[in-house]
Formats: sequence, C-alpha cells, structure tokens
Amino acid sequence: MIALRDFLPYLGRRVLGAIGVLIGAMLLVFFIAYILNPNPAHLWAGARASKSTIAAVVARYHLDQPWYVQLYYFLQSYITGNLGIDPQTGKSILSEMEFYFPNTLELVLVSMVMIAALGVASGYFAGMHFGTKVDHAIRIFYLATWSSPYYLGGFLAILAFSTYIPLFPSGGMYSLTLANQPAHITGIYILDALIQLNGPAFISGLQHVFMPAAVLALLDFGLVARIMRSSILNARWSTHVKAARAKGMAEGEVRRNHILRNALIDTNTIIAVTFGFLLSGTIVIEEIFAWPGIGYFTYQAIVSINYPVLVPCVLLFTLGVIVANFIADVFYSLLDPRIALGEGGGSEG
Amino acid sequence: MSTGAVSMRKLITSNSLSMFGLVTVSFFLVITVAQIVSSGAILPYSAYQPSFAAANLPPSLSHPFGTDLLGRDMLSRVITALPIDVGIPLITVGLSAAIGIILGTLAAFFRGWLDEVLMRLTDLFMAFPTMIMAMAIAATLGPSLVNVTFSMIIVWWPPYVRLVRGGVLAIAAEDFVSISKALNSSFFYIVRKDAIPNVLPTILVYATFDVGSALLTLSTLGFLNVGIPPTAPELGMMVSNVTYNLFLYPYQIIIPAVVVAVIVAGFSFLGEGIRESLDVKLRPHILIRSNPAKELEAKSR
Repeated sequence: MIALRDFLPYLGRRVLGAIGVLIGAMLLVFFIAYILNPNPAHLWAGARASKSTIAAVVARYHLDQPWYVQLYYFLQSYITGNLGIDPQTGKSILSEMEFYFPNTLELVLVSMVMIAALGVASGYFAGMHFGTKVDHAIRIFYLATWSSPYYLGGFLAILAFSTYIPLFPSGGMYSLTLANQPAHITGIYILDALIQLNGPAFISGLQHVFMPAAVLALLDFGLVARIMRSSILNARWSTHVKAARAKGMAEGEVRRNHILRNALIDTNTIIAVTFGFLLSGTIVIEEIFAWPGIGYFTYQAIVSINYPVLVPCVLLFTLGVIVANFIADVFYSLLDPRIALGEGGGSEG
Repeated sequence: MSTGAVSMRKLITSNSLSMFGLVTVSFFLVITVAQIVSSGAILPYSAYQPSFAAANLPPSLSHPFGTDLLGRDMLSRVITALPIDVGIPLITVGLSAAIGIILGTLAAFFRGWLDEVLMRLTDLFMAFPTMIMAMAIAATLGPSLVNVTFSMIIVWWPPYVRLVRGGVLAIAAEDFVSISKALNSSFFYIVRKDAIPNVLPTILVYATFDVGSALLTLSTLGFLNVGIPPTAPELGMMVSNVTYNLFLYPYQIIIPAVVVAVIVAGFSFLGEGIRESLDVKLRPHILIRSNPAKELEAKSR
C-alpha cells in the first residue's frame, strides 16, 4: 500500500493532466466542427424553414460571427455551465444529457459485471490449461466473439432469444404496460426500482437490460480474458510460485494466493479500461435494441452535424475514457506495491 | 528482419491459430485482388442488375449466399464490397504505422521539447473514443471513401507513435547504438540500420491484429450510414440497408455480417498466433508440449 502523502500529489498531477486533455479535446472538436461546417443553420432549422427562422437560428448561435467570436461564446457556455438549447429539439442540452446518460450507465455497468465474471473465469481456465484443448477452445471462442461486429451479435441475439425462443424483449428499457413505474431518482431504471422496492419494475428492467448487456459483454470480454490468460501464464511459472510449492504449500492455496491474486492485478486495471471501450460500443447496441441512451443521442447529433449537442457528448465520452484510465492507474498503484508514484508513475508514458 | 524468411515461416506454421489466420487472410486477399484486377469479371452474377423474378431467394447451390430483395446475387455483392472492406483497413493501418514510425522515431531520438509536444499530442488523441471521433469527423467531412479513410487515420495513429517510441528508446539505450553514434553515424543511418529493423517485428504483429479492428470500425461506420457514400458497396451498410428484413429473410443480414467477422477473425488469429510464437517466456513450455519425448521426461521429473 502507498502512503497518502505520496498519493495526494500524484492525484493532483493526474487531475491536472486530465483537465488539460479535456480542454484540448474541446478545442479540437470545436475546430473540426466549426471550420468544416461554419454555417449549419439550414441543417438545424430544417430544409423547409423560412428565411426568418434561419436568421433566428443564426443569431441565437452567433453563426454569422468569425470563428474566434464563436469560440468565445463556446468557451463561455462551458465556464458558466449553461450549455444552451438543443437547436433541433428546443430542449436544454444539459437536461437531455441528464436523461440519456444514466440509461447508458445502466447498460455499461451491467455489462461490466458480466465481462469481469466471464473474462476472469475463462482467462484463468485457459491459462491453467495452457496448450491443451480447453485452452484452444477458450481462445478461439473469445477471439471469434471479439472479431464479430456488434450488429452481428445484436441481430443474432434478437433472432435467437426474442424471435425463435421468445425469452427476452427485443428492445426498450422497461415494459411500458407496467402500471406502477418507479419515480425518477438516480435515472438508472433498475436502481430506481430497487430503491423503491418495486418488484415487477425491477424484474422488467432486468429482462430488458439482459440481452443488450450480454451482447456487449460477450463481444468484448476477450480483451479481459486475453490479459487474464497471459497474466496467469506469467504468474504460473514464476519463481515465487515455485518457491511456494517447494516449501510444501497446498496446491489450492498456491493457486488462490500466488497465481490468481497476482494475475488479478493486471486484470483489474484492464476491466476499468473496458469501461471507456464499452461506452463507444453502446452506439450500435443502443441503435439495435432501441435503448434511449447517450450513444443513441450522440448518433443523432452526429448525423445532423448538431455540434452544440455533439461537443458536450464527445466530451462526456472522452471524460469516460479519462476517468476509466485514471481509476485503472489508481487500482494498479494500490494493488501493486512495487509501482512508485514518482515521475512517470501510473501506466502513462 | 533478422529472424529471416525461413524462421518466420516456421513461426506461423507451427501455431494452429496463426495458420488458420494466414489461410483466411490470404483467401480474402486473393479474392480482393482478383476482383480489383478483373474489375468484376470474376463475379458469378452482376452485383447491380436487379432481377425481380429471383428476389429474396434463400441460399442455394446457384446462389450460395441467396439473393436480396431486388434479386441481386448476395455472393456477388459481398465480393464487390471486398476492395473497400479489405482495402481501407489495410490503408488505414499502413499509413498509421508510417506516421507512427516517423513521429515515434523523431520523439525517441531527439527527446526534449519535440518529444514532449509529440507525446502530449498523442495522449490527447488517445483519450478520444475512437469510434465516436471517427464518426464525428466522417460526418462533418461528408460521405466519400477518401474522407472516411482520412477520419479513420486521424483516430488510428496514436498507439503506433507510442509503440515505436518505446521500442526505439529501448534500442537507443543499447551499446551498439551508442557505439554507432560515437562513430559519427548520421541520424538516418542509425534509424535505417538499427532502429527500424528492431521495432518492425513488434509493429507488424500489432498491425496485423489491428487491421481487424480497423475493419470493425469501418463496417460500423457503414452500418450507421456515416461517411461511406450510399452507392459504395460496403458490408456493414449492406446489413443496415435491409435490417427490416431481419425476421423474414435473416440470411440477408447475417451473411454479410458473418463475412465481416470471418475477415476480422483471420487478421486477429494471425496476429495473436505470431505474437504468441514470438513470446520468449512461453517458448520453453511450448517446446515441451510439442516434443513427446521431452514431455515424458518433464512428467517423470
């Protein structure tokens, strides 16, 4: 374990670095969007909008101003925390994101639990049976699912478990016919239902989240399984395991305390990293399973080049990646006492 | 490469994973090249000419992949899509590796402010979610094959810079490079003779695996109808154009999607297999397994 005295400056450095990356990301997205498409008023107002409507849109978003004035208004909106109005729906962008993001969080978190379980178990078995048929079967399975596009997994799951064997609903987040819907507290449907002890809503929520989350997990667990397997291989033949066996430690104890534990250090960090990975994966899955999440929202913004919405969404995804990497680094430094937190600490560089 | 052609061949053929990958990748490369060279003469049917009498036929001997709702042969349509679906990922990965080799070597050799600037820039681009950034750039640039390749490269190069920089830094610390520097060798001489040959195997393994990832991203862009022109044949787009047929004619959706998965799997299996064969730490354990006499000996110990 590391001392708090070392940890706080490390934390401070990482947070500063993250803020730098976020500002860089903001500027980059701004320039990509604004320079390539300096006047999207027609796109936003609609093809059949009158001249006065277009003029109103241009005035409201300062589209007739030079880029540095637009940049000023853009940065101002982030400093004041008022992201403005979605030019296409007329709603507050912040409240729209507050609605969509928890839904994605539900999907990704359930999926991460599945990935952790699947990845650790399959990686452990493959590693402990290195070179055997079990190892080959597991590797071929995770490489094959990793190679499948999300839409293949999504459509196959719908065909198999919603059409041919009707086990799960093919889309949506909850049953609309349910009379007693849980009140909006966290925004995460199954969590809200659980807090309010609403049994039917909780079960309906679980039924809906299972298939999209399982598809995401099944197609991405290869990343975790692969790292787990190679960490097991590293630990299996290392000298400290030989030493433990030589002093007569029981095989079960060697496996639990010396092989599994060491392998989990690397695997924990990669599970955190998958969070950022899964966030991107939600675009296709949310599209296929009609899941009202941030991926779907971002996709709509991308297709209509709606950058007042697109920029905060991209920033949110970037923040997700940064936070995931940060948690991975912290995990790593907490779990592995050999990692020094000095210059170049963590996994960067 | 110092490993030499013979041992490289042995590396690939000794591992069943990479063997499968090699066969699959070569198979699709041959068809792709044949399709480009013959400009469509290898197709069993026209990929564009509708024939309504033969609409929505399930897979059969005369149409192995079935026909679509306009009666066009799906096999011909899949083959027509290969130049885009194999070509663009190869170009993306190739150019990204080239950018990585140039920037990574510069950063590692000159260190100082150049290194700092290049690496912070790489960090910045690394933090973006690949898929979303590629979509955003492709959508703003407008649909065209050049634009979609460009937007893929924008998000694809950062890992290569890191990989090359790390590799070159490790080599630059070796004695033979210091000696070469002391002998007043020029920068380009050291890069050409020492740095690149030593980092190339790592880059090649990573890039092989990466072509698959690039195809997944490309076909997802196609599936979401972002960046790829509607007239261009692309497998992901082929899927998304007929999603409403999922329950009536599932093969129209599943077959192009499975072709994507098989090509990606080919590249991943090849990359993964070579990586494992190159892994020095595993080598003694692989050798014991592949040699029955030694295996017996190991057991009797």
